[in-house]
Amino acid sequence: MALIVALLLACGGMLGLCLGLERHYKQLWHRLPSPMLRRGLRGMGWVLLAASFAVSVQVWGWAMGPVAWFGLISLAGLSVAFLLPYSAR
Amino acid sequence: MKHKTLTQSMAWLHTWSGLIFGWLLFAIFLTGTLAVFDKEIDGWMRPEIPATSLSQSAAAQQALGYLARQHPEAKTWNIGLPGERSDTLTVSAGEQRRGGGTALDPRTGEPLAVRETAGGGFFFRFHFTLNLPRDLGIWTVGLAAMAMLVALISGIVIHKKFFKDFFTFRPAKGQRSWLDAHNATAVLVLPFHLMITYTGLVIFYLIYMPAAVDALFDGDRDNLGRALRGAPAEQQVRGERPTRSEAAELTALEPLLAEAERAMGPVSSLSIHNPGRSNARIEARPVLGNRIELTKGQSMLFDGVSGEVLRQPAVSRPSLLTQKVMAGLHFAQFGGYSMRWLYFVCGLASCAMLATGVVLFTVKRRRRHDGEGAVGALLYHIAERLNVAVVAGLMVACVAFLWANRLLPVELAQRGGWEVRVFFLVWLLSLGHAIIRPWRSAWREQLGLAAALCISLPALSLLGESLGDYLYLELTSVALGLLLAWPCWKLYQAPKERAPRRVGKQPVAQVN
Repeated sequence: MALIVALLLACGGMLGLCLGLERHYKQLWHRLPSPMLRRGLRGMGWVLLAASFAVSVQVWGWAMGPVAWFGLISLAGLSVAFLLPYSAR
Repeated sequence: MKHKTLTQSMAWLHTWSGLIFGWLLFAIFLTGTLAVFDKEIDGWMRPEIPATSLSQSAAAQQALGYLARQHPEAKTWNIGLPGERSDTLTVSAGEQRRGGGTALDPRTGEPLAVRETAGGGFFFRFHFTLNLPRDLGIWTVGLAAMAMLVALISGIVIHKKFFKDFFTFRPAKGQRSWLDAHNATAVLVLPFHLMITYTGLVIFYLIYMPAAVDALFDGDRDNLGRALRGAPAEQQVRGERPTRSEAAELTALEPLLAEAERAMGPVSSLSIHNPGRSNARIEARPVLGNRIELTKGQSMLFDGVSGEVLRQPAVSRPSLLTQKVMAGLHFAQFGGYSMRWLYFVCGLASCAMLATGVVLFTVKRRRRHDGEGAVGALLYHIAERLNVAVVAGLMVACVAFLWANRLLPVELAQRGGWEVRVFFLVWLLSLGHAIIRPWRSAWREQLGLAAALCISLPALSLLGESLGDYLYLELTSVALGLLLAWPCWKLYQAPKERAPRRVGKQPVAQVN
């Protein structure tokens, strides 16, 4: 359960970071994001990643939590990268 | 004219070290990924062992009853307890505590007729020895791991837009897509790649860097082990003389198991020295992975009559702890099933990274493989074949190994050896198949076969009796089969779709 929460937070975070990049924002909405929006998306991405870290540490403790978190954000980033071009069509 | 830039020389290094060791590394990573679930696979390969919900102490009582009946005179009884990951209760008598033992039915305490099998441990052993003689295998795998580190670092250097292309994946664009997929699986999972490769090397530090042990202990590993553990507690036990003991009742196991579990976490096995005597000793070992540190060899000692604690589990010194934590990070025994799944999926991502890497080598050269001279052309043809045999063929061989476990006759002598032989024979056949078929058909047929074998794996449980609970393993197998069916299906439609695009498109990026 907590694993799923941490994974979803990581996915959200990676999605935020991803859409904070001009190229990928354009892919989805076919227009350029305003600098404000871009910064906002990136900021939100980092906040969600931090939240995912906090949940991981809550579940696994300080020793194992970071290990799990690295795995989670890797997989989250991978799924964002591979799903984005398909959802953009 | 011969002066190359740093990026170009790194690209050269990445290409060739990646290609030569990529095949080896794919085999290591794939079997390593499967070995994450070695005990679960092992359980599947022994379908005679029933699923049980018995408590550990109840199972231990059954084992004690059996041992008292069969081996009343033995100096040591060993009991392997069922736990979260396995339903197997094993017993053996005598000093040797590794290497099988008799499997018991935990409900009745009677021995089970379990088929002889190489078991899930095969993937684990293949992962670090490649089924070669142990030391040779470990050195080969170590060399491959060094090459992996080289390829990772050089890969980072030659990746021109590390952060700009962080999330970039452009499907259905031929070579571009292969490069994107290779980059994405490499960059996004980079912490895992680096961690697993480096910690893999650290596990065998004594084999790879023996100088210190040679100098300080004359290469005597037993001496080193004693020095690391700290000797006194051991001697206290061994020093006692077994002759002066009288018969005495063994203490109840339940409170003892509870105490061991409180101190060390879930218990995996018990050894009982001098059972039924007044100087009986009970040694409890934890399952690996109640913490990151790899607690192999750790144990807690009890008085067998009074049930008192004689020795608490040892605490590692900082230097040893560092090594054990690194080894633990590699073995992934900590954090329960969720962590295991994380490692499994990350491992699959590593396999995908290696596979896309070696495939990229041939995709680049398919159109103009004469660019690098006659040797380059020959190598391209070899690489094309080996890619099929290593990537698709190995997957077929791994599933075939599981199929062999259920299909080989149970009464076959040396059955475990035959399972391994089937694995290698199938792998060899896949190489032959890859050589005689055109590359596209070879990929399609082998991937299709692997997918079909994975998807139909659950059907094997209908053959003969299978008493365990294999739902998750079978679901995973079907999921992996569907995953493999996808590229196979893509290969069926690819030629028509890509033909026009190929004419108009010039090679875009040559470096990386």
